Amino acid sequence: MFEAGFWALGSGLWALGFGFWALDSGLWTPDNDLMETIRNFCIIAHIDHGKSTLADRLIQRCGGVEERQFRDQILDSMDIERERGITIKSNTVTLLYDAQDGRRYTLNLIDTPGHVDFSHEVRRSLMSCEGALLLVDASQGVEAQTVANLYLALEYDLEIVPVINKIDLPSADIERAREEISEDLGLDPYEAVLSSAKLGEGIDEVLEAIVQRLPAPTGDPQAPLQALIFDAQYDSYRGAVMICRVKEGTLRPGQKIRFMHSGKDHAVEEVGLMQLERVATKELEAGAVGYVIAGVKTLRDIAIGDTLTDADHPAAAPLPGYKEAKPVVFSSIYPMSTDDYEDLTDALEKLSLNDAALTFEKDSSTALGFGFRCGFLGLLHLDVVQERLRREYGLSLILSAPSVRYHITLESGEEISVDNPSRFPDPAQISYAEEPYIKASIMMPERYIGTVMELCREKRGSNTTFNYLAVGRVELTSELPLAEVLFDFYDKLKTITQGYGSFDYEVLDYRPTDLVKVDILVNTEPVDALSQLVHRDKARTRALKYCDRLADTIPKQQFKIAIQGAIGGQIIARKTINAYRKDVTAKCYGGDITRKRKLLEKQREGKKRMKIVGSVEIPQEAFVAVLKSESDK
Amino acid sequence: MIPAAGIYIHLPFCSSICPYCDFSVVKGSSGTRAHFVESLTDEIRICAGSVWPAFVGTDSEPSFDSIFLGGGTPSIIHPDQLHNILDQLEESFDIVTDPWIAMEVNPEDVTPLQLSAWKELGVSYLSLGVQSFDAQSLEFLGRQHTPGQARESVEMAKAAGFPTVSIDLIYCLPGQSQGSWRSELSCALDTGPDHLSCYQLTIEPGTGFDVRKKQGRLSEISIDQQAALFFETHSYLESEGYTAYEVSNFASDPRHESRHNQKYWNHQPYLGLGPSAHSFSGRSRWWNHPGLKQYLAAVDLGGRPIAENETLDSWQICLEAIALGLRTPRGIDLEDLPGNRGPAIWHRNQAVLHRWVETGLIDADPPTIRPTLKGMALADTLSRELDIPMD
Repeated sequence: MFEAGFWALGSGLWALGFGFWALDSGLWTPDNDLMETIRNFCIIAHIDHGKSTLADRLIQRCGGVEERQFRDQILDSMDIERERGITIKSNTVTLLYDAQDGRRYTLNLIDTPGHVDFSHEVRRSLMSCEGALLLVDASQGVEAQTVANLYLALEYDLEIVPVINKIDLPSADIERAREEISEDLGLDPYEAVLSSAKLGEGIDEVLEAIVQRLPAPTGDPQAPLQALIFDAQYDSYRGAVMICRVKEGTLRPGQKIRFMHSGKDHAVEEVGLMQLERVATKELEAGAVGYVIAGVKTLRDIAIGDTLTDADHPAAAPLPGYKEAKPVVFSSIYPMSTDDYEDLTDALEKLSLNDAALTFEKDSSTALGFGFRCGFLGLLHLDVVQERLRREYGLSLILSAPSVRYHITLESGEEISVDNPSRFPDPAQISYAEEPYIKASIMMPERYIGTVMELCREKRGSNTTFNYLAVGRVELTSELPLAEVLFDFYDKLKTITQGYGSFDYEVLDYRPTDLVKVDILVNTEPVDALSQLVHRDKARTRALKYCDRLADTIPKQQFKIAIQGAIGGQIIARKTINAYRKDVTAKCYGGDITRKRKLLEKQREGKKRMKIVGSVEIPQEAFVAVLKSESDK
Repeated sequence: MIPAAGIYIHLPFCSSICPYCDFSVVKGSSGTRAHFVESLTDEIRICAGSVWPAFVGTDSEPSFDSIFLGGGTPSIIHPDQLHNILDQLEESFDIVTDPWIAMEVNPEDVTPLQLSAWKELGVSYLSLGVQSFDAQSLEFLGRQHTPGQARESVEMAKAAGFPTVSIDLIYCLPGQSQGSWRSELSCALDTGPDHLSCYQLTIEPGTGFDVRKKQGRLSEISIDQQAALFFETHSYLESEGYTAYEVSNFASDPRHESRHNQKYWNHQPYLGLGPSAHSFSGRSRWWNHPGLKQYLAAVDLGGRPIAENETLDSWQICLEAIALGLRTPRGIDLEDLPGNRGPAIWHRNQAVLHRWVETGLIDADPPTIRPTLKGMALADTLSRELDIPMD
């Protein structure tokens, strides 16, 4: 559901865990005493402009990896990333390049995750670079998203090298691409390097440009240590492996380090460089990018963006830009079969070792039994976690409707946060409620502006403005409640812009809202798993939608079933399922009672999977049907 | 004491195959029929020599007090051949004096001569495959007789003095209204049957109707209409003096009830012979090959033509007893349930039973649970919902 239109700061799929460096360890002798032979850079590109292919070529050129080995490696990477064409976990790799000037350079290619849900990680990655390759597709030209990416990179003062890629395509128009680089990006078009990553053309030129045009890092190896953790991986033997950029000072084994934000101290066990395999080194000096293992058990124990310093000679202040990755989207996850609860617990614990942004706590529902209330960075993150639970752990799940976290001020003056409808206080005690707003940035061809503005209005958007990025391309910004974006916004946007619209957002602030809790009642019994918090204006439509879907999926039973949507005692939507009066088959079975019994046994099995609310049997398919997002329909 | 057992003989021949029928039937030449009767008598002999100890699980043999000649169309089998079959049964098994013998016949085969031959065989329950008294419906059902023949056949059978004359009817036909069904029932009652079996049309896989349904040329009537016709059947026949002793079976007097079919519903043992016939020993079930060829091949080799068998555990017997019991007004006798589950079922299901009593689905009078007509109509749901403890 998310793939189309999202800009990708990173779609590199060349993952880790591959030991080709071992083939020729003689290669592995960088001049790493010399800071001026280090280049830290990333590749920014619109999705599909060839970023992963270029990355692959750079690695191959520097490491001599066979084509076939690459394929193997790509196949090993996370299915979900490949399918969606985005990178969820970023990977970093150190390359050694023997440049034309006769020196051996250490090139740290820092990959960046490619989705707005993970924008804090993107920023952290950019902070670790001095430069970026800006990839432009020779046949597509500069896309609106490319501009946004450029601005983000410029925010961090990165030096930019434009690369016009895919020059081998028959539709390539290099001159037009140059023009656009000049007009839309304000960069010197004749500095652009021409390449065809697919054919391996221009790769040397790209490498030379990195060496010659991107600045070397700066920093003092003797200064108090400041190292920015911009990524981390989980190793089942070693625990958390932190990937960091040493800004000042030196990191070495045995050193006592301190996490400046969390205040925890650890002893460094190992430092080294990230090749496709980890290669230990004796130290990491200012300017270097590498890994640190320091006896940290899980990814939960560290925070991306935290600064490492020397506990004995601490730096005066941490590096700027630290922001805790806070979940903004919440949903309860229940196993389809209550027997799978233990497995779900296990799976979530394992997943969270690798995914520090995922939060979870026990939750329970009368209808669905025990489950977990989980917090996610965004809808994509939710989707990825759900997919991983299904695919990697083979679990069948029911997810409650995603919710944002509301701030509620009670009459007593007490302020509470609520992201679970079951914790919604008595409305009489509420003084006022606030909900999170985002600043949405939608880029699209001009012709869709009318319908997109209408969509924003429908989604309670305010301060909607737009400006022309180029002839025919418009960027629209709107301040929208995040909750509205969670409910069929992406899909509508995709539909009305025929796939051309792209979407990015940042969380703005909390604003007053008229919040109500909508309950769904089945024969007057509330189905707790279906309750949701919504804006009063949306309550009726939302309730009706749920009632309709339930009425379509709950089978007729021996009594009439009323399905209602309610705010407190007030009924706002209603559907009825009529009773059936007969189910017995007045058929002649003769002596074949077996057939009859087997049918009954099967039905009784099916009944076990039913959830009982009051006296009504609700098949799981009904929950799945009601709770599935619009896009799954 | 071993309850009296029943014998079912499946005679798989019909002069034409009806589009709703999913029983084991073929047209079969007279040569095939003769071959079959030979094989059937062989099967009886083989069975008598091998089956009994396993059949009841004791050393003593049961005696049989009912024989059901079903099919297929037994009335197209020559009375002499039927005679041979019955003689062989007599010879091989312990059959009570004057057993209850039922025979299914098609109206178009009924003549005074045939009737007297069947009477001669000792048939006491003549089941007429009328299915409908409406010309259009008969044509739809692929039957070979007319409404006139249907009426005459019943009247002739009555006149011939069979102790019980029964009519089979099929309802829930596409487009059938309560009114038209009621007038058919009224036609049926005009002929004065002692017993009626009113079955609901169901479209079974592999039948002619199934093909039509898949082609979109036929659809079953709505569940609401099925319910309406079901209740219409029961209330009308009840008002005319017929008692429903099972969801589909009605008798003007208890002595006209089908002795054989009740064995199916009461978990009494029965032995099925002929292709596709099912047998039950009280604990296990087995059934013969449904295909005539396979059946003949097996018997001709001197073996038993059994396709599959199963041994029921006491939970399964209990489930069946409940499911079958709820299809009859007699209901369930909790004290009779295997494994002494009655008290547990009673206590575990208090809330459910209470609700059913309140909504008029059952009368609960421990140790019996009797469905009302409303409850019988929901027998499948009720037997699905009862919590039955495992061993």
